[in-house]
Amino acid sequence: MTNSTAVKTGDALISIRGVSMSYGARRVLDSVDLDVCRGEILVLLGGSGSGKTTLLKHLLGLAKPETGRITINGVDITCCSPSELGAVRRRIGVAFQGGALFNSMSVEDNVALPLRELTRLADSTIKLVVWMNLIAVGLADAGSLHPPELSGGMRKRAAVARAMALDPEILILDEPSAGLDPIVSAGLDELILFLNRSFGITILVITHELESAFHIADRVAMLYQGRLIAVDRKEQFAGNAHPRIRQFLDRQPDAVPRVAGDQFIAEFFRGIQT
Amino acid sequence: MSFLEQVGRAAIVQVEDAGAVTIQFWSVLRKLPRILPIVGGRRRWRSTVEQMFAIGASALPMSATMSLCTGFILALQSGSELRRFGALEFVVDLVAIGFTRELGPLITALSVSGRSASAIAAEIGTMVVTEEIDSLRVMGLDPVEFTLAPKYLASLITVPCLTILSTLCGIFAGYLFLAFSMDMSLHNYFHAVAEAILLRDLFFALVKSMVFATVIVHVGCLEGLRVHGGPEAVGHSTTAAVVKSTFLIIVADLLATAIFYLLGWSSLG
Repeated sequence: MTNSTAVKTGDALISIRGVSMSYGARRVLDSVDLDVCRGEILVLLGGSGSGKTTLLKHLLGLAKPETGRITINGVDITCCSPSELGAVRRRIGVAFQGGALFNSMSVEDNVALPLRELTRLADSTIKLVVWMNLIAVGLADAGSLHPPELSGGMRKRAAVARAMALDPEILILDEPSAGLDPIVSAGLDELILFLNRSFGITILVITHELESAFHIADRVAMLYQGRLIAVDRKEQFAGNAHPRIRQFLDRQPDAVPRVAGDQFIAEFFRGIQT
Repeated sequence: MSFLEQVGRAAIVQVEDAGAVTIQFWSVLRKLPRILPIVGGRRRWRSTVEQMFAIGASALPMSATMSLCTGFILALQSGSELRRFGALEFVVDLVAIGFTRELGPLITALSVSGRSASAIAAEIGTMVVTEEIDSLRVMGLDPVEFTLAPKYLASLITVPCLTILSTLCGIFAGYLFLAFSMDMSLHNYFHAVAEAILLRDLFFALVKSMVFATVIVHVGCLEGLRVHGGPEAVGHSTTAAVVKSTFLIIVADLLATAIFYLLGWSSLG
């Protein structure tokens, strides 16, 4: 797949080249090429089972592709040493789909966890950083709550705050608006834009929510059956003529092969006789 | 699929299982020093202490009650037979030796297995489903050190302690029976108990209980990590954890007892 918006390779913070992966006979990722440029918001669209989550796992080094390379900040994470991988991961903040907050810890402690474990900052400094991050995501007065006491939207925000704790260059959000009402979801979109505009963080959003995708994206990419069928600026993407993209954008269902009742029964009995 | 293929595939699955078990065990053993007090991290030790409460302290009422009851049952059953030979005082030996060597470790292990193997599997399985394990890895924290190792250490410390306490309870139940049936005094009873059991019996019991502790926590963690898919998979893994750990405890008990028997350690005197 060629990029219509010419991306200089020097700009690419994440560069995925020819990544393929299959589980058994099923091809989940089929030679995916994708660049995420410094400072942009890239939205990766795709229906259920399109390979979004698998691609995310590969990006984070949680799974290794069968073929292809993934370079983040110049380091090829498919063949680097564990310590190099650790260094790359420290530059990435991830907010997983369900938040992945630790239920036994308060929100504050959740955000403070990476700081306490991975830095030598003093407790007072950590407190300050946690507080600033919670303010940035609008959870300043929810710090002492535990994750089960939070609403869906608050949990996502807390996850973003934790992902931001180590001041990452790249923020990856997995389905930030899944399961949220439109108002809360819009609030999250504003938060994503705010983080991108004011801190210059590169953001990769994985979603299937069209409205939010087109609101926040600089560029939109679409995965379908493990193949990247389009990567484009959002204005051009909206006019893309690929049948699958049209179907996705116009919310058309798949054609279901129908078997009429009597035909079904006839085939059933034929099946029994043979 | 041909028969040969099926056998081969089943064998591969079994070998992979055995490999996973061993690899997990090794990786936990390697991390154990990092969670010890003083030499290891302060925060890890704190979560170990929390686990000790969850696995050990809260299992105490149940395993103590179970041991009291079993001790009394053992005394009743043996008493009704021994009375016919006028040898009621041998109930002391039976209860003391039976509990120290066998029933104390076993009953403790079974009660901890029912409570904690399922709890551990459920906790870790939920962490897998909600991507908490993934997020630990991405944050650069080792899930083995962060979640598994404290549970191993906590159970290795608490299960032997529980074993001692429930053995005491079982032996005390024997006293209750004898106090009622032949007015034996507490002093005489424990004097007879001290003569009946040997130091090596205690050692035997503690070794066994540590083996059981390892089985319980290892099966719980392994079943938890194996969870794939949605929350309903967590339910399956908790059931599997209890069933497998209970089964393996009995097998391990048989093996350990057989080894001690072959070494000639279990003969009296």
